[in-house]
Amino acid sequence: MDLVKIEGKWNFNYTYFAGESASRFFHELRENHRIMGTRCTKCRRLLVPARAYCDVCMAPTDEWEEVGPEGTLETFTIIATAFPGLPPPPIVMAYVTLDGADTALINLVHGMDLSDIEVAAQKLNKLPRVKVEFVDEPTGRITDFSFKLI
Amino acid sequence: MAEVGSVYIEGAALEFSWADPRRNLMELIYDTVSKAVEDAGQGYDGIDSVVLAAHDLVDGRSLSSMVTAPAAGAYLRDEVRYSDDGAGAFAAAVARIEAGESERTIVAAWGRASEHDVEELSRQLFDRIFLAPLGLQETHICAVNAQKWRINGGDTSSVEAAQKRRAVAAKANPRALQSGGWRSTPAYPLESDHLPLWADAVAAVVISGKPSSVRVKGLGLSSEPYWPGDRGLATAPALQRASERALAEAGMTAHEIDLFELDGMTLYDEAIALEAVGYAAKGQGMRVLAEDQRCNPSGGSAAGYSVPAMGLARIVEATLQLRATAGAVQVGKPRTAMASGLSVTAAQTQTVIILEAQ
Amino acid sequence: MSVAIIGVGQTGYRRSFPDKSSRELIWEAARLALEDADLDIDAIDMVISGVAPDALAGEASVERTAMLGFGKPFLRINTGGVTGSSTVFAGNTFIRAKRARAVLVVGLERMGQATSSQQVFNTIFDPVYEKDFPLTTITMAALRASMLMRLYGYTAMHWAKIAARSYQNALKNPLAHLHVDITPEDVLNSPLLAWPIHRYEACPMSEGACAMVLVNDQMVGDRTPAWIQGAASITDSYAMGDRIHRPGATLVDLLSLKLAAQRAYAQAGVDKPRDQVRAIELYSAFSSAEAMAYPALGMCEASDGPRFVEDQFTDPKIPVFNPSGGPQGANPVSVTAMVRIAEAALQVRDMAGERQVADVDRAVATGQGGATQFSTVCVLGKRPAP
Repeated sequence: MDLVKIEGKWNFNYTYFAGESASRFFHELRENHRIMGTRCTKCRRLLVPARAYCDVCMAPTDEWEEVGPEGTLETFTIIATAFPGLPPPPIVMAYVTLDGADTALINLVHGMDLSDIEVAAQKLNKLPRVKVEFVDEPTGRITDFSFKLI
Repeated sequence: MAEVGSVYIEGAALEFSWADPRRNLMELIYDTVSKAVEDAGQGYDGIDSVVLAAHDLVDGRSLSSMVTAPAAGAYLRDEVRYSDDGAGAFAAAVARIEAGESERTIVAAWGRASEHDVEELSRQLFDRIFLAPLGLQETHICAVNAQKWRINGGDTSSVEAAQKRRAVAAKANPRALQSGGWRSTPAYPLESDHLPLWADAVAAVVISGKPSSVRVKGLGLSSEPYWPGDRGLATAPALQRASERALAEAGMTAHEIDLFELDGMTLYDEAIALEAVGYAAKGQGMRVLAEDQRCNPSGGSAAGYSVPAMGLARIVEATLQLRATAGAVQVGKPRTAMASGLSVTAAQTQTVIILEAQ
Repeated sequence: MSVAIIGVGQTGYRRSFPDKSSRELIWEAARLALEDADLDIDAIDMVISGVAPDALAGEASVERTAMLGFGKPFLRINTGGVTGSSTVFAGNTFIRAKRARAVLVVGLERMGQATSSQQVFNTIFDPVYEKDFPLTTITMAALRASMLMRLYGYTAMHWAKIAARSYQNALKNPLAHLHVDITPEDVLNSPLLAWPIHRYEACPMSEGACAMVLVNDQMVGDRTPAWIQGAASITDSYAMGDRIHRPGATLVDLLSLKLAAQRAYAQAGVDKPRDQVRAIELYSAFSSAEAMAYPALGMCEASDGPRFVEDQFTDPKIPVFNPSGGPQGANPVSVTAMVRIAEAALQVRDMAGERQVADVDRAVATGQGGATQFSTVCVLGKRPAP
């Protein structure tokens, strides 16, 4: 007797409202090539990416401030296997604290020699300074920029 | 440790909106939770637990509580997310206070219909092998139940009047969705305005063991088999059992309850609910819904709807009524209220909460 | 009032069960738990179900397809990786609130029906800031692992030793998914996924169901209980970038686990965990993640972690980690945290068969979810908490 297997595909469509804060963040990326944070009205941390409220204090944010364009790498990984949606490996992904920010931001690091992964890893282990580089035609998404070792 | 019957609602808030591009889902949740906490008047002092009701497929990402829980005040607190109706989550939160595990708990529930495909999700709830190929949605089950109620001799003479009263209430309700929203296509015998007005909904309350203006007097839960054909069509047996349990705990009968806010996806579900809890006689639920102002004074699902928030939305509406702050839809000075919430799939499980003004 | 686990049921874990529907898996685990508890379904007052991302099973609200008993109060929990433990804790709460005398908790993982789990896991990240830039649980773990190596001197061999230890333990667990004789060298030779994580340090994709029966002290009778001495759960903020600069609790300080452990230990009357806990069923999705649990659970200081790993192989007084093989041996995501509690319960009840650790008076089970955002700690003992 055959065991029945039924093929299925889920294809849910969603429209995610980014909201005013994120929209402004993306707008600044696209129009002004700037990365913005917002400050919590209670703890005064500058939160990056910009957001409407601080979830630690459950309080709204106010000031919008630019951060970077340089910063310090905090931790990283080098992706060696292909994952759906990512550029082909090897690629470097890292958390960077941009100058002025109180939180770190994640994005890809480009322009490194990755022919020897261990060597590259040791270089990144030194927590180098990096700078933000924008693509030629930013569209208002997080992928408008990436980091490059200085 | 709080005993059964000594949990109180300190703060409550409810918002219906539609496709507000200025706020993402987390910001929507943050706004309503903040309002409920403010309403409770004690800030975040003593808030040590958060109980949520939300569903990944409604929110549009797996483990959506990663981003949504902090928006509801979960940072470094004991937080749990039920993928179940808001009234069920409320019951679980009450248990936390009664067990002595929490001093003050935030309960929040939400669903943003403008962000997801309501019908597609509803279709996916049905068994892949025997039911999904038929393209069933939950409103089809509502239609089947409605027709069964009619076949059983349900008094249909008040259908139009009941819908009219709902529409008037929804228009008057300061919390109802007044523009935007979405309705699906009705299946016989349902008509368009019998269907829920899908909205972006967030409901939140703060509860504790310290006396406040509204007390939880009793609660009950129950469930039905998965297959719609195995269930008691047109009689909502899970709601019946849940209300019996809640009333027994409260030491009351249905006729002693002053106000009802019962969750039902469609007009017919609300009418059948009144029969199931023992307030309306069999077949008379529609007439009672048409004539009795104390039944779903908020306008029910015509005021705004989004799973799995509705049980908690009903609790908030009932709370406001008991505090006499429901605004234009206030019905006198009720002392007790019954609120209910139903879950997928097609009201398979139900929670009933009985509240009392202090 | 104390709550005891008196029944455990596990279907065992595999890549897939092609001969079983989802509801059959749920029934099987429930049946085994009820048999072990020597209770009929009618004695159960409430059923709480734990199922994590529906997308892994491809069935929306699959838990509702398998109701157990008639008309019982029923709720479903979904807290990602900690779902299994959240479910047990909820059962504990309802009993302590005197709203139930006996609760059946049951979890199902059906990821055998998914084609690519990483695509599903990818959707757990924020669609506004992160979706265009897919993150995965593997990259998240790798970011942490590289930080741990830099800060405390862990090496690739430490990660490999932890992984190999788990595989060796799984060989003694007939319920585990993987029964492979893997050495640390095998781990280091396996393909690199994201530096520094190798494939064999990650967990398999497993499916299966687990169930347990929890009762109040009056229903234990002459059954063999594992008493819940402590149960605590803490949620951290989402954005990992926010934690990097948090004073006292950065990215690799598992603050939520530390706080949960403190609370659970206090409830249990544990003040010297390294001496007072004999077995630890630990939820770490990657072998390197285990390192963050050591200081959080009071095993050692963070900087002594590498030494603590080495001592596990030579010092018999150190608690035994993942005698079941842990998530390395089987990772049915929705239930993995419940399996940790189930296995800890079997250890305390002396019912763990070939994988039984000697003299387990007290065991701890942990849960992690959402890239270490959610942490749970459960302390079980042969006696109720003092």
